[in-house]
Amino acid sequence: MPNAREVRTAAQASQEDVFFGQTVIMWARWSVIVAGIALVLWTSTNVGLLTQTMPFFLVLMAVNFFLHGRYVMGSPLNRTVVTAASVVDLLLITAIVILWPGAHGLNNPFFVLYFPVVFAFALVFTRKVEAAYTVLAILLYAGACVLTRTVPFDLGNDDKVLVMRVIVIATMGFLGNYYFRIQRDRLARASRGDRSTLAEIRAGLAR
Amino acid sequence: MSTTRWNQPKDHLVSPDGKWYWDGIAQEWKPVTNAAPPPRTAAVPTPTAKPQPVRGLSSFAGTIRSEDLAYGQTVLVWARWILIGTGLLLSFWTPQDLLTLQVQLAAIIALAFGNFYLHVQLLRGRPALDNVIYAASLADIGVVTALVIVLGGFSSPVFIFYFAAIVGISVAFPTLMTAGYTALVLGIYVVICLATAPAADGPAIFLRLLTIAAVAVCGNLFARHEAQRRTDAVRIHQELLDEIEQGASSQHNTAPAMPAPQE
Repeated sequence: MPNAREVRTAAQASQEDVFFGQTVIMWARWSVIVAGIALVLWTSTNVGLLTQTMPFFLVLMAVNFFLHGRYVMGSPLNRTVVTAASVVDLLLITAIVILWPGAHGLNNPFFVLYFPVVFAFALVFTRKVEAAYTVLAILLYAGACVLTRTVPFDLGNDDKVLVMRVIVIATMGFLGNYYFRIQRDRLARASRGDRSTLAEIRAGLAR
Repeated sequence: MSTTRWNQPKDHLVSPDGKWYWDGIAQEWKPVTNAAPPPRTAAVPTPTAKPQPVRGLSSFAGTIRSEDLAYGQTVLVWARWILIGTGLLLSFWTPQDLLTLQVQLAAIIALAFGNFYLHVQLLRGRPALDNVIYAASLADIGVVTALVIVLGGFSSPVFIFYFAAIVGISVAFPTLMTAGYTALVLGIYVVICLATAPAADGPAIFLRLLTIAAVAVCGNLFARHEAQRRTDAVRIHQELLDEIEQGASSQHNTAPAMPAPQE
């Protein structure tokens, strides 16, 4: 009996994770871009404000055009570039939280942009990488709130709000990666054709 | 699929006592119960065969079905535990007044009991019925909505728990159900915001709604991709089995499920 059950190597599977995952990250980034541009156009009250805030999203849009174009052409970028682009997302969102005119730090409504970005990243990368990314997002956001002195550290309501947001960012990362690992296991079993999987196939064929 | 019967007892390695044969696919010894071992590929499915209630081939199909719901249920359960834990922690942190605290605790404890039941079912290997999962997710949304309303509507910071609820829903539910639940959340929240937010906060409302929708899209997109990948993997495996059955050479033992990235 030939040992013919492995249809892909671990390296192939890893590359496929990035290939399929890239599209999720890109769509998350598009949501950030659309939200940002809509808000910039909506809330700007003068030309100066518009020219100060729009470049954030134009940079992000250019990056995503490049990444999406590569993906559509069938030559997506490798793991390092995808990770770097995702870190740039975090930096840009943090810059918005700190520098956005009118509302800084904890009072800035743009913190919600962390959620889709962290979630999408967690669906693509392994646990350690995802954990590092989620911790980075948390540190950046907490740092932005501290830097702008919008968190008094008196265990009052503002601190409570910050803790709540940090927990939800961590939740996005945890749940995304938990689901990612469930799917890896299912795919590995389907690829391997192990006994339970074959039983499932048989059961399905009987339908 | 080929029906070539290559796997008769003589084709297998049989133990010295003749009671066991080696199943090369499962990589284990199996008892010889009848004259012939069970057909390996089940190439002749009978129309009367009863479908398996869970984890059938449909879990490997290109669309999300009930089996995916069973797998995604663990994500939902953990999302709910996080919601419950965080809710309890924050309820006791600078509580506003007695009535608010009573409502919060009652809702959270009710959710905890329900989630405990679902978790126990999972641990016993009996994922709950689809309708129960759908109802539990509605309860999640209901509890978060109650907390948002009690804590001031638009100004309430607990709206972010909608994200945790939507994450579980987006990866576990079929696309239409995900869209329905997301639309429900967006609809409820926009009504609450319109009733409680100042007009100047329109952009913030828009931002919240858009990101909730984005999380739902990302989760469901990923779930669909994974379902497609499993379909490809199963197809390749079946083709491989067919080749082996037909006595094809073992030269093509590996095949990528998709083109590998160039970089």
